[in-house]
Amino acid sequence: MKHFAIALTLAALLAGCADQPAKDAVIEDRGIKVSPPAEKAKAVDTQGMPMAPVDSKPISGAAQDAAAPPPAQKVETRALAEPATEVKPLDGAKTGAPVGGAAGATAAGADQSAIALSLKDPNSPLSKRIILFDFDSSAIRDEYRSLLEAHAEFLKSNPASKVILQGHADERGSREYNLALGQRRAESVFKALSLLGVAEGQMEAVSLGEEKPIAEGHDEAAWQQNRRTEILYQGE
Amino acid sequence: MGDSSVGKIGNVLRKMNMFARLLLIAVLALAALPARALMTIEIVGGASNKIPIAVLPFTLPQEGGLNPGDVITNDLGRSGYFRMLDPKGGVSPATPQGLTLPDWKNRGADAVVMGHVIPAPGGRVEIRFWLHDVVRQTQIIALSYTTTPAGVRSVAHKIADVIHEKLLGEPGPYSGRIAYILKQGKRYELQVADADSQNAITVAASPEPIISPAWSPDGTKLAYVSFEDKKPVVYVQNLVDGKRRAVAKFRGSNSAPAWSPDGRQLAVTLSKDETSQIYLLDLETGEAKRLTRGGALDTEPVFSPDGRWLYFTSDRGGSPQIYRASLENGEASRITFEGGYNVSPALSPDGKTLAFVHRRDGRFHVAVMDLANRQMQVLTDTAFDESPSFAPNGRLILYATLVNGRGVLATVSVDGRVKQRLSQSGDLREPSWGP
Repeated sequence: MKHFAIALTLAALLAGCADQPAKDAVIEDRGIKVSPPAEKAKAVDTQGMPMAPVDSKPISGAAQDAAAPPPAQKVETRALAEPATEVKPLDGAKTGAPVGGAAGATAAGADQSAIALSLKDPNSPLSKRIILFDFDSSAIRDEYRSLLEAHAEFLKSNPASKVILQGHADERGSREYNLALGQRRAESVFKALSLLGVAEGQMEAVSLGEEKPIAEGHDEAAWQQNRRTEILYQGE
Repeated sequence: MGDSSVGKIGNVLRKMNMFARLLLIAVLALAALPARALMTIEIVGGASNKIPIAVLPFTLPQEGGLNPGDVITNDLGRSGYFRMLDPKGGVSPATPQGLTLPDWKNRGADAVVMGHVIPAPGGRVEIRFWLHDVVRQTQIIALSYTTTPAGVRSVAHKIADVIHEKLLGEPGPYSGRIAYILKQGKRYELQVADADSQNAITVAASPEPIISPAWSPDGTKLAYVSFEDKKPVVYVQNLVDGKRRAVAKFRGSNSAPAWSPDGRQLAVTLSKDETSQIYLLDLETGEAKRLTRGGALDTEPVFSPDGRWLYFTSDRGGSPQIYRASLENGEASRITFEGGYNVSPALSPDGKTLAFVHRRDGRFHVAVMDLANRQMQVLTDTAFDESPSFAPNGRLILYATLVNGRGVLATVSVDGRVKQRLSQSGDLREPSWGP
């Protein structure tokens, strides 16, 4: 019977694959870029929920016997129309969504471009944005000291700049628990930068849990890449 | 594939070697799949004494409409408690007197269902059904429902519930709805479907992840976590008008919504003050009251149905375990002890059984605990189970699992005997069973 179950599973999988001519591309958006407007989700089909009012009553007149139906019952259900809601990515640059509840990011245009230049220099330590973690750990390894110091210096000399520290977890286990694990990893980087003198108002620690893996595999090599905190500058 | 055919095939298979079995079943299952990418349901196991029942196709006002008999047959057949007999081309007679119960007795049926769909005033339809005890040759129940043509499927599920309750003495699980996330490429859709996973409607779609949908107690709203703002934010969406609002968008992460039994509060996990901690959010005032304290990570709250307790996951003891806190004085005690990873608590509607995800030998299984005696039982043999939730009747648990890297939804009965898999093209996760 167990083999039978396995076989059914296998069969369903085979069939499932056959149903999908093109397998979807892996996610590569690591959340660093603000999604361009072209990436907007397509409109969703809107359908009403077929939950029309229903009245029910016992059928009378039909031959009744010892097991008589119960007294008339009235089932009332409200109509549930369920229009779909379209969720759109917020354009951080446009809305100036505040980090950490602070005032909107409205740094001067000149400053912005200077920041962007040094951040984008591939030779600068600032181009390194990812801190990896051991399994079930939020301790920062020694190897990341110079990376964190470089970002701390930059943030201190550019007090208008702001970062979101996005923590991530590997795929194993509960999504919500992994969200909390990622949060702890983001907070670990937050504390490290704070100790290096960065103002707390310049940083926000958040978690994307297991939802945005860098590596799509299901082994330790992939999991190691995914247990991380990313430093994301506002307005980039 | 019906239960009876599964049984026959099973007998043949026992005489074949394993590889031949796998191959044959693969071919059979492929052949049985519909051409369209509809959800299909596979059943594994079942009650040892299934009730043999025949559901005759209902007579319809015109050809081609949805036949409630088909919906009822599917509902009862996949439950694992019934053996569906082929009506062999028979249709419902004009009156119940037209049923030849001795014939059905000879064919092995214990019960027969017949019914009609007839036009009613105002463009509505009336659906009548009769359930007969074939052994005693008596009518068990007969009911009439009036609805719109679009409501026929919903009424058919209600009829399946009535039949289930009359024959088994406990409420049926067929008329509830499920919410889950469908991932298609880079698109995430929050869908609501009937409990048989038919009739799916997308209520929210986003290019960024959506997780943790939670039904309000009255079934009119869904709370969920959306990452559209580059961080997790908790939304509540009204299913009646489709409008939604961000109810928890504090500094840091906002996640893990759970409704209080009166629907006025959400328990949520926030990181605004310290690392992930649980708060009670008043939905009218927006005020968030902190419930847990200490540097440990607390998340995945869920209310007991009587509103006295909050169950949650915490790593305060060094590994993630399930705890419960009194909502009167805040005192927490540990509930799970077996193993180093117990997460994602869910409570049965009567509050007596806890379902959760338990890790054993690196595999994640759905397990249940009888809260009276704290006995734990692992229910599944799949390796990547997540997000258990109870059916409204408390007899089934819906969960997500991975098969070959693809997310599927599955159910298991609380005694572990009946397992079903709902499958669909695309990647499904984060199911929640609602009213």
